[in-house]
Amino acid sequence: MKKLLCLLLLISFASQAQESSILADKKNEFRIDVLSAIVWQKASLSYERFLKNDFSIGANVNFSNSKKLNDDFDNGYRNNVPKFEINPYVRYALSKSKSRYYFAEIFGSYNGGDYKEIIHVSGMAMPDYYTIRKSKYTDFGLGGSLGYKMYFKESFAMELIVGFGSNLTNRDKSPDVISRVGINLGYRF
Amino acid sequence: MKEIKKLLILMVILIATSCDTNDDGFYKNIFIDVPNLVTIETQNNYNVGDYLYVSANFYRILNDGALLDVYQSTGGARQFVFSYIIEKKISETEWQVVTVNDNQLDINSGTAQNGSYVYGICEYNETSETYEYNVGFPLLSVGNYRLSFGYNSSSTNSVELRSLSSSKNPIININSLTSNLDGTGYYYFNVN
Repeated sequence: MKKLLCLLLLISFASQAQESSILADKKNEFRIDVLSAIVWQKASLSYERFLKNDFSIGANVNFSNSKKLNDDFDNGYRNNVPKFEINPYVRYALSKSKSRYYFAEIFGSYNGGDYKEIIHVSGMAMPDYYTIRKSKYTDFGLGGSLGYKMYFKESFAMELIVGFGSNLTNRDKSPDVISRVGINLGYRF
Repeated sequence: MKEIKKLLILMVILIATSCDTNDDGFYKNIFIDVPNLVTIETQNNYNVGDYLYVSANFYRILNDGALLDVYQSTGGARQFVFSYIIEKKISETEWQVVTVNDNQLDINSGTAQNGSYVYGICEYNETSETYEYNVGFPLLSVGNYRLSFGYNSSSTNSVELRSLSSSKNPIININSLTSNLDGTGYYYFNVN
């Protein structure tokens, strides 16, 4: 019985080692965020390049055109509506396994969208009045995320990620908080 | 598996907190102060069968320190609304809201709806370019009465008027001091 148990453990370790070795040879990965697409009507694409020593780098690009956000913006329930984000990131794998592991990341964000404000028009040869002025905003932000990634059939990835950060340079117009929440499906090659 | 559950719970919390809960049109409200836009047409004696009239008649251009075109500012809002309550004394310490049917109101201009309070609607007159309201409330029985503009408002000495702007235009909120009220925010009168 003990011999059988040892044999099963050996097979398991060997299989995992083989899978890790195959994954280690695949350095690139593309992902798409299905959660953002369904919940926020946001197209979110990511690329990740795997480096040595459990590090990886990548970038995430988002384009958003949510009807609900646009309606809320038009109806005055919010004064900005994000339209795009470009988020470069650096990741570190927290687990030893290459096929299922936790990771932590630091990300930057260049983001922008539409902004509106009520302005008081005065100093003309007519009574003052208020009007709504729309403009564009852009901002830079920094943040951090935690996530869990798992591979199936040595190439297909599923990733859960939760993170948030803060815009830094134009917070009068941009959202204070930027979030990175997603369920990504990807392919590693 | 437990860690995945924790991450999923965290995701749900983040999604929930990122939902927009600001439903009061906060980003399109404008607040101004213009006194004496609404008046109670007082008289020395009231008898059963009389009406208590409340009126408003103000030009589209108001003086809020500087002249301000409220019609243009609201994208052409055709109505300003405000509310008031009429109560009757039913004991030494208790007052009861008086309600009548809408068709019992004497509407000369504007519109009014009566329930637990009177919802007064000042209508825009294209010709005179003024917002107008003049509605009489029937006094149907003898007793001590009082009127206040305090419904949906914390103010004791002013009326709060709000423009009914279309969804994409600014809303103007006017805080208008009125001289008919006492220090506690009521106009008291008797009906004989």
